[in-house]
Amino acid sequence: MSGAIPHSEISPGAHSVRPLGMTADYARQLLDSLGDAQTPLPEAEFLHPAVTWARSGLMSLTGRSRAEMCPAPIAACADGALLALQSLAPHNPELACLHGSRLLSERAAFMRLSRQGRIAAGGSCRLLDTADGQVAVNLARDEDWAMLPAWLESETLSGEAGEWEALAKVLATRQTQETVERARQLGLPVAASQWPQSGGQWFSITMRGIPRIRRAVPLVLDLSTLWAGPLCGHLLQMLGARVIKVESASRPDAARRGNEDFFDLLNAGKTAVSLDLETETGRAQLLQLIRQADIVIESARPRGLQQMGIVAEDLVRECAGLTWISITGYGRDEDAGLQVAFGDDAGVAAGLSALMLEVTGEAMFVGDAIADPLTGLHAALAAWHSFTHGGGRLISVPLRDVAMHCASFDLPDSRQALKQRHADWTQCIQPDDIQPPVRRVATAQAEPFGADTQNILTEFGLLDA
Amino acid sequence: MSKVALKAGARLKSAVSDVQVMAIKIPAGEYEITCGGVPMVGASDEAPAGASMDAGDSGETLMGKRYVDEGETVEFLCTKAGAGSLALDGKPLDVKQAKQLPSSD
Repeated sequence: MSGAIPHSEISPGAHSVRPLGMTADYARQLLDSLGDAQTPLPEAEFLHPAVTWARSGLMSLTGRSRAEMCPAPIAACADGALLALQSLAPHNPELACLHGSRLLSERAAFMRLSRQGRIAAGGSCRLLDTADGQVAVNLARDEDWAMLPAWLESETLSGEAGEWEALAKVLATRQTQETVERARQLGLPVAASQWPQSGGQWFSITMRGIPRIRRAVPLVLDLSTLWAGPLCGHLLQMLGARVIKVESASRPDAARRGNEDFFDLLNAGKTAVSLDLETETGRAQLLQLIRQADIVIESARPRGLQQMGIVAEDLVRECAGLTWISITGYGRDEDAGLQVAFGDDAGVAAGLSALMLEVTGEAMFVGDAIADPLTGLHAALAAWHSFTHGGGRLISVPLRDVAMHCASFDLPDSRQALKQRHADWTQCIQPDDIQPPVRRVATAQAEPFGADTQNILTEFGLLDA
Repeated sequence: MSKVALKAGARLKSAVSDVQVMAIKIPAGEYEITCGGVPMVGASDEAPAGASMDAGDSGETLMGKRYVDEGETVEFLCTKAGAGSLALDGKPLDVKQAKQLPSSD
């Protein structure tokens, strides 16, 4: 309990509503939403949410010149999500060593990222002013820059990468809603900064199949890429799952081109299979693997998989006991399913930047791709809960919805009360509470791309599929 | 049917099916864009009555796919799926490879 502030010594002010035990409250709310209200929470040290924030490493990643306090208990919610997962797998030694809130800044520790105000720590996403508000625009690829002339129908934009100033000028004359709508149609990750809405769910079960428990520990097929989905698979691995990472031969997990040590951390111990999904054979092999899996994790837009003949709804209906985790930006509905999101812009869509603007007067990002690690934690909880209840569920876990569920948790009901909370929470942390992002060390290197393909195809009898 | 000048961002619809596209990249000049062999019209224009698809065109234009010419100088995004293949000045447009994800987000 070194350096922790005992509950009784914290006087957070009249406007803050029950900050004590917010981690436990959030864990309880997650379990309630899964229909598991009776599960006891494990013993844990409960810190003030402001102290949890300070220790999470997120202060290095939020603000401009000065580190900022987020008035939403994002770090406490991450601890709460992990606590809920621990309650479903009590006495798991690996899980017991983790702090959910520290996972939020982990990538930044590997990549040595730091806060840049209205530029995201990772650098590719920026908050830009429109005529009537702000939008987060995430342009990580040259192909995305090439879309700008079509997106904004402007001849002052050339489509060359890096023309942020020209983009800012054009956007300043445009209306937010229309701008975001056109970006959605083009598949550009653009989000309006808006106030978080309370009362929404962090997941939805969009299809139910027949429950059945086939194995004591699950076989997980991880088709996901980047951070949220791989983190989910990594956490399930700690719970004993066997995880097979399946990559498309033509589109490997792009995180392989990113920080290697971080990739190793999330993917060490996963079996690596590559399938040529442009061929009938490759698709048939993937379908056969899915039929034998207990949990599928994927982070594709629904249409992408459907156009390959891989229809989550059909597979959950057909395969008793299958849990399918669908990680998207905004959900699986027809329109929402089109919309691309990454962790930074989804955090803005969830309302985090609007909260920061309200309490600091400045537009800024919160954390590094914050919706990704939050979603990975929540998705692991949904997956494990479903598996232990027999599966048979298609579970949609959208980045924006998870981040908004955290951003709106215990949100004060007036802007004045929010500002008061920000002031109180800023005051209640001590300088030595503030910690930088910390990296865990990978237990091993991740398997090279496709290294285990032949072994897995042999094991599952799919060489002639 | 005369050719039309198009700008990036322009929307077109098929005269013979549900297909709608948006121009993503298009060099200056005039083009004839067809779907199912019949010239496409502006998204807010009235489709000419009585037009019918080429009997030999059994193709389909898929939602969300990018369509490019051989040199990838011209690019359209399908915003509404439907029957009929796309062509530019009589040459068929093909589906472009999906974008690679960025290495970090």
